[in-house]
Amino acid sequence: MSAPLSFARAAPGPRSPIRKAVLRTLLEAAAIAGGAALLGLAVNAVRPSGLPLVAPAPYETLVPCPEPGGPVAALEPSDPALGGSRLFLVDARDEDAFRNGHARGAVNVPYDWLDPLPEAALGDLARRIAASGATRVVVYGDGGRPDSGEHLGREISGRGIRNVAFVRGGAPALLPGGAS
Amino acid sequence: MTGRVATTPGEPLSAAGAAAWLAVPARWYLGGLFVLAAWHKIAVPHDFAIDVATYEVLPLVLVNAVAIILPWIEVGAGLLLLLGIRVRAAALLVAAMMIVFLAALGLALSRGLDMSCGCFASQGAETDPISFRTVLRDLLWLGLSVLVLAFDRGHLGLDRRREGAEYHA
Repeated sequence: MSAPLSFARAAPGPRSPIRKAVLRTLLEAAAIAGGAALLGLAVNAVRPSGLPLVAPAPYETLVPCPEPGGPVAALEPSDPALGGSRLFLVDARDEDAFRNGHARGAVNVPYDWLDPLPEAALGDLARRIAASGATRVVVYGDGGRPDSGEHLGREISGRGIRNVAFVRGGAPALLPGGAS
Repeated sequence: MTGRVATTPGEPLSAAGAAAWLAVPARWYLGGLFVLAAWHKIAVPHDFAIDVATYEVLPLVLVNAVAIILPWIEVGAGLLLLLGIRVRAAALLVAAMMIVFLAALGLALSRGLDMSCGCFASQGAETDPISFRTVLRDLLWLGLSVLVLAFDRGHLGLDRRREGAEYHA
């Protein structure tokens, strides 16, 4: 009769040292993380450059694809997609050609093989496209070989803008007579 | 902590004792690394928030909170490792953060994102791109944090000095 009684007394004995150490480490880690988080929130609350706890709008993240740029689709000048309402049109020709005639609503971003767009200009263009609410970017160039429209399209796509296309044949095929 | 390894002068160093001493430079390295990594993130939180958002892992409501809090956990864990205070807890936090970073990196690589790691300053994908080399580097740091977690015995740390002082008192 005495054996079960002595077993019952021994059952709630001390925890193993390893278990105690693991538990203590976990609690300390949680305390450190919690303290650091509170400190970070407090500093953020008082500093002028502090962030709102929840971002009011999605960040415009530009994720470049690997060189030499991102994918672009080729559109025929007669493609019905060119008549869509949420297009962001980019004219890759030089300023003189743009002044002589361009597609309605197109933005002129001259693209020159020998003088590539500065990073800042490309980033600015990507931000304008992201802010426009357009669902497709269509670029047209001089239609030459290589076609400035196709390559500017690749550059834009390489900045993380999705759904970029170029017009096969460029402005000469898209703008009969060179005017919009 | 329990399980302190005896290193009496003149006594040959056991494998665990050697590992405990190896953990010291690893602890200092990781500590310095995490303090350094947190510096720019705390100085320019907006840039770090963009880095966090670029991974496209977190919902928008969590992006800023993570960008605000994470660098302070990094700097806290880093300072504790450098000073040798609550080393195991700090190493556990570092290991947990490394696992999270590795998961985010793996996802970004699997999606083919050509982007900056965001591990230190936001340098841009051109100068600090993610790659399998970044994964290997993070695996090395994870291994070091596990080494510290498993083997550090507080050598040359403030915890050990304090405990020693209490013992002598």
